[in-house]
Amino acid sequence: MKNKLILFWVIVAIVIVSIYVICTKPTKLGLDLVGGSRLVLEAQTSKTIAQITPDMMSSLQFAIENRVNKLGVSETVVQRTGDRRLVVEIPDVSDLEQAKAYLGETAELDFRRPVIKNGVEEWEATGLTGKDLSKANLSTNSQNGQWVVDLEFNGEGTKKFADLTKQLVGQPMAIFFNGEMQSAPVIREAITGGRAQISGGDSGFVYEEAKKMVDLLNAGALPVPAKIIEENTVGPTLGADSIAKSKVAGAIGLGFVMLFMALYYRAPGLIADMALIIYGLMLFALFKAIPVTLTLAGIAGFILSIGMAVDANILIFERTKEELKAGRTLFTAINSGFDRAFTSIFDSNMTTIITCAILYCCGTSIVKGFALTLALGVIVSMFSAITITKNFMHLIFGAGKLTHPALFGLRKSDIEEGYQAVETKREKAKFGILD
Amino acid sequence: MKLNLVKYRFLFLAISAILLLPGIVAMIYSTITYPTHTPLKVGIDYTGGTTLQYGVKESISNNKLSEVRQDLEKNGIENPYLQIINVNSQQDTDMKAILSIRTKFIAEGSSDQDKITNIMNQEFNAPELVQVSSVGPTLGSELFKNSLIALSLALLGIIAYLTMRFQFDYALAAILGLVHDTLFVCGVFSILGLFYDVQIDALFVTALLTVIGFSVHDTIVVFDRVRENLKYYSKKMTFSEIMNGSVNQTLARSINTSLTTLITLLALYFWGGVTTRDFVLAMILGIAVGTYSSIFFCSTLVDIWEDKKKSTTPVAA
Repeated sequence: MKNKLILFWVIVAIVIVSIYVICTKPTKLGLDLVGGSRLVLEAQTSKTIAQITPDMMSSLQFAIENRVNKLGVSETVVQRTGDRRLVVEIPDVSDLEQAKAYLGETAELDFRRPVIKNGVEEWEATGLTGKDLSKANLSTNSQNGQWVVDLEFNGEGTKKFADLTKQLVGQPMAIFFNGEMQSAPVIREAITGGRAQISGGDSGFVYEEAKKMVDLLNAGALPVPAKIIEENTVGPTLGADSIAKSKVAGAIGLGFVMLFMALYYRAPGLIADMALIIYGLMLFALFKAIPVTLTLAGIAGFILSIGMAVDANILIFERTKEELKAGRTLFTAINSGFDRAFTSIFDSNMTTIITCAILYCCGTSIVKGFALTLALGVIVSMFSAITITKNFMHLIFGAGKLTHPALFGLRKSDIEEGYQAVETKREKAKFGILD
Repeated sequence: MKLNLVKYRFLFLAISAILLLPGIVAMIYSTITYPTHTPLKVGIDYTGGTTLQYGVKESISNNKLSEVRQDLEKNGIENPYLQIINVNSQQDTDMKAILSIRTKFIAEGSSDQDKITNIMNQEFNAPELVQVSSVGPTLGSELFKNSLIALSLALLGIIAYLTMRFQFDYALAAILGLVHDTLFVCGVFSILGLFYDVQIDALFVTALLTVIGFSVHDTIVVFDRVRENLKYYSKKMTFSEIMNGSVNQTLARSINTSLTTLITLLALYFWGGVTTRDFVLAMILGIAVGTYSSIFFCSTLVDIWEDKKKSTTPVAA
């Protein structure tokens, strides 16, 4: 009993922490539920690109989506509009300024060689560019500790780079990023390993600068330069009117579920309702603490996990009832109700968690949001149903014989039959009632 | 109440067939006849469409948004996406907000555009059409393909886990149950698409995922009981008797669990927002049919397979 009381206070502490987190941390809601910022990007023609073709727009959209994903700006919508524009909608939760800085950058990396034209020294493009990279990494120079960007070339890039450095032995080779020279080291010997390093010149890179370059290089250059031409805040894509109504409807629905549980399962039903409220608080606090950006897909996962949490309680109560009918005392009936329901709760939830893990790893953003909230929900629901409900049941009912069967929605005769069964047909009572 | 699964096993399979067949026919018909060659009528999330932006001089309330939505649907502009774009105060204009209406492809200057402008004129004081532009799909075929691959991998994961914890038979039955439920929901939406012009949006994928999650969950609980009973009764009872008893033991739980989830969903369907109504409907259908399939369909399948196994294994002398 002492352990049970300790556990009870632990649960109380968890509830208090959850409420504290809920009150202090902001809820992160997705674009579909609260809206966010809307940027319109327009592809720009340049000296080399006279006309914007639909193909270019497709690859621009792909590049922008790629960047947005690399930035970890979750739940962003990138959409083509008109002939040469992209609409990028970013939820409120993300750092808009950072996103803006990243979206417009072309991220063109190219290697140039020195040539003398009309007596003036100039840098000439070599055809080796960011396209030939396989990966960029952030690291530090082992000698002076400055931030540097390590480059790894792909197969073709390695060859090009080897050829180029062979030709340029004894001469400088310049690395340009977005048209600006970053450094121009003198080549001492041909480099065949397919690796290069950009140092920030004499002054070196600041961390943010190097980090941004690595991110941009990994996300890929934009096929066409793009400019942000419009910036607005927007309301939810699902319509503010619909969302307001759904909130009320969801609350009504949950109210009915709790009523149903209390009416059908009586006292244990009420306990389950309490456990459900605690479950909701814990899960919501978890969403805020991680933080998870909630979209409608995420809320669908949440609803499903509530269904599964209720299911765990129902499974347990049905088993407890069966055990009571089979003539067990309250304490053992509750315990074996939990034990026997456990395998089915465990297996069904494990399957859900495995599914979610796979969906989260390979899925696209809608699927990801769903998988994450569902998995979290299922994990918390196991704790809620098994630990919280059980603890409350033990504390309230204690041990002994069930004197008021109506509390469990049972008739007195049900239980008496059970007691007789124990005496007459031991086996029947031992393993449930399968006849 | 006591169900007799074994006696009516072919009746249950027949009911499943009746549930699925019309939808399958509708999906085949749709795939052939729709210009998109898809089994379901796809909305602008998949096809792209047109966005019309109207600048208005007042801020837009939720009620106003609902009214515009209703007017649009009454006038044959189906499933419009309405979104408010706030106008920056620095911008040199007397517009307070822009209402963005995203819907199917509308040609510039067509009668559909006039209809929408008329509705806007009724609802707002001198709205100004600031932009008409085409928009691409938010859920392109690439994204859709990736989701399908993820889903297939997830199914393999389910099969592996269930084979480990139960047997391959059970895993297969659970997966067939899930296919049963998904097909039913897709079938109904295909029919709704043909007769009521219901289009599926990006949320439909989420609804299907929910249905799949529920379906497997539900089936496992029944199978768990079978596994437990087999331990104690396999010498005294036939497999069919055990299966029958297990389904009956879990019946109250199966129905109650679905009922609690359905209560929430029905509340969302009747009192919730219009934009999520089809999404909720898909989940309601899926969970209802998922309960049926876990009680009647999956267990019957395993039962029939077990019978087959017994009749083909020679009795040891």
